[in-house]
Amino acid sequence: MEVRGEVVDGVALYRIAGKIDALTGPDLHSVVSSAIGGGNPRIIFDMREVTYISSAGLRVIVLSAKQAKAANGGFAVFGLQPAVSEVFEVAGFRTIIPIVSSEADARSTFGA
Amino acid sequence: MKLTRAQRLGREGAILKQLTLADEIIVLLLEDSSGAINPACAGVANIAIAGGVLMELALLGRIDTDLTSLFIVDPNPAGDEFLDQALRMIAAEPQKRSSGWWIERLGLRNGDLVGKVLGRLVEAGILRSEDRQFLWVFSRRAYPQNSGREEREAKARIASIVFNDTVPDPRDTLLLSLADSAGVLDDLFSSKQVSKASKRVAEVVALEEISRSVRAVVSRHRAALAAAKSGRSWVGPGRDW
Repeated sequence: MEVRGEVVDGVALYRIAGKIDALTGPDLHSVVSSAIGGGNPRIIFDMREVTYISSAGLRVIVLSAKQAKAANGGFAVFGLQPAVSEVFEVAGFRTIIPIVSSEADARSTFGA
Repeated sequence: MKLTRAQRLGREGAILKQLTLADEIIVLLLEDSSGAINPACAGVANIAIAGGVLMELALLGRIDTDLTSLFIVDPNPAGDEFLDQALRMIAAEPQKRSSGWWIERLGLRNGDLVGKVLGRLVEAGILRSEDRQFLWVFSRRAYPQNSGREEREAKARIASIVFNDTVPDPRDTLLLSLADSAGVLDDLFSSKQVSKASKRVAEVVALEEISRSVRAVVSRHRAALAAAKSGRSWVGPGRDW
C-alpha cells in the first residue's frame, strides 16, 4: 500500500494505492491519526487505486471517521473500484460515512 | 487442594488478563436471578463465544477476514491460552475457510466453551461458583456476579452505540452484534427501546464481517433446533458457505 497525503484548503486528502488490510491498515491509521492530532480533522480518502480492502481495512476507515468526527471534523471517501465498492455495500458503510464519486463531491461534504 | 470444575476449566482455558469479547458476552448472558445462562440464549451461547474469540483475534491483529475467507495475519500467540488454542487450530487448517465455517467449527464442534469461559471468569474473581438447590431435591451450579461492574460496563457500551447516532467503535460494534445474535438485547433494555433501535442495531451489526457470520450461524442453528424439535428435517446450506 502507498499513501500520499496533502492538505489543501484545510482538508487532508490521502491518495491510497494497493491493499488496505491487517498488515497495511495500521500504517494508514497512524498517518490519519497524526493529521487529526495535528489539527486537520477534515479527512478525504481517494480510493481510486485501492484494489482490495479486508475487514481490518474497513475498521481503519471506521476508526478514522470516528476520530475525525470527535475532533469536530469530517470524513469522506471517493473513487471506489467495483470490488471495494461491493465490500462497502455489504457492510452498509453508506449509513456511517459519505461515499461519493469525485474529489469535488468529497470536498463539498465539508463545504470546502 | 481439589479444584472445582469451574476452576479446573478456567486454568485449562486461559490466563485472564482482561475481559475478552467472549468473556463479556457470557457476563451479559448470565441471569442475575438464577446465576445461570439465560435459557432462551443457552442453545447459541457456544456460537456467540466462538464468534467472540474470532473477533478478539481480529482486533489483536492475528487474523483478518474478507467476503470469502478468514486468514492468519500473525501466528504469534496472543498471550491468552483460550484465544491461542483457536489461533493454533486456524493456523493448522490447510484449507482457507470462511469465518462462518470457523464459527461453526469452534462453536459447535469444540467442547464446552461456556464452561471454559465461566471457569475463566470464576478464576478472575468476576463470578463466584455456588451450588444451589431447586425443587428441594436437585442441585445445580450457579454463577452469580461478584460486583456486577463488568455487566454494567458492557451494557453501557452497547447502549452508547445503540441509542446514539455516532460512528461506532469496532470493539463495541462487535459486542453489540454478539448480544444481538444471542438474543439478549431484550433482557438488557426494554422491548420498546429495542424495537425503536432495531434499524440502528441492524446497521451497526452489518458493519463487521464476523458479526454477519455469527448472526447467520445462529440463525441456521436456531432453525435446525426448531426443525429437530418439531420432527421436521431441516435442509440448510452447505458447510462452506
